[in-house]
Amino acid sequence: MAVEQTDYEEIPGVILTDRNAISDFVKKTKAQDILNWGRKNSLWFTVNAMGCCGVELLSTGMAHYDTDRFGIIPRNSPRHADVLIISGYVTKKYLPALTRIWEQMPSPKWVIAFGDCAISGGPFYESYSTHQNVDQIFPVDVFVPGCPPRCEALIQAFFELQKKIEAKQDRGTEY
Amino acid sequence: MDANTMIDSLSTQFPDAVFDTKVESKIRIFAKVKPENIKDVCMYLKGNLSFGHLCCEFGIDFPDRNEIEVVYVIGSYDHSVVLTLKALLPRDNPEIESVVSVYWNASWYERETYELFGVKYLNHPDLRPLVLPEDMLGEWPLRKDYKGFPNKTAKNLV
Repeated sequence: MAVEQTDYEEIPGVILTDRNAISDFVKKTKAQDILNWGRKNSLWFTVNAMGCCGVELLSTGMAHYDTDRFGIIPRNSPRHADVLIISGYVTKKYLPALTRIWEQMPSPKWVIAFGDCAISGGPFYESYSTHQNVDQIFPVDVFVPGCPPRCEALIQAFFELQKKIEAKQDRGTEY
Repeated sequence: MDANTMIDSLSTQFPDAVFDTKVESKIRIFAKVKPENIKDVCMYLKGNLSFGHLCCEFGIDFPDRNEIEVVYVIGSYDHSVVLTLKALLPRDNPEIESVVSVYWNASWYERETYELFGVKYLNHPDLRPLVLPEDMLGEWPLRKDYKGFPNKTAKNLV
């Protein structure tokens, strides 16, 4: 659900483009490897604690695990973040807010489904008020099962995401 | 004042509105009340019998009796008796007077009972859904004949 792109205003002395020719060209060259190396080593994530797994998400960002050494830093604004961690059940009321967070994040961006609730609904898999099959709404790269998964599992998920980005297999960018 | 005198006082004050009273123990009493008198009964309970604390308020659906019960559990800060007050409403058009003007904390209870059971509270100051999204209004998910549960569309079951 991208914002519809309108024609740019005429600015004197400035030439603007609405095409991706440069980035499309770069994707075919070795320069993309360097870009991806930079991206995979600065996976900042949104602090978006949605359920009980959110507690694990918060502790992962704390000093004990020291994820800063991998470039994984919690950010309080989705506009600073690269990774959206869906850390709980998505209720029908919350889905618009979550979609808005996702749209506020600048590309390139990735999604991790953290915990059983985000993957399948968990204990709420038959519920009337939760959204089923969140992976059909967001391009989920890594699923982390567990109820809740441990902080180490989340760090492992980031490593898997880094491997995917390095191999250009992630769903954040169209290669 | 003990449980028996409280029930007697309530029955004497509202001989027509209060019925099926029951004293289960020294601290638990039960009564049924006619829906149109609920506010008067609550005002009397709060003013004269020092039932100052509405612990909870919820609905129960009885499809076979074609009724929805609205249950008020009322406690007190001055004595140890807890009163369970029930009002029986017709299932096709459940309407009852709001008690927010007596117990202010009933506001969210009534909003939740409204969104889950469809009980319409008359003269409620702000009757809109509490936790459900607006577009689910009218489905009344906690009624027994609700069709949306269980929702069997989930994949990826862990």
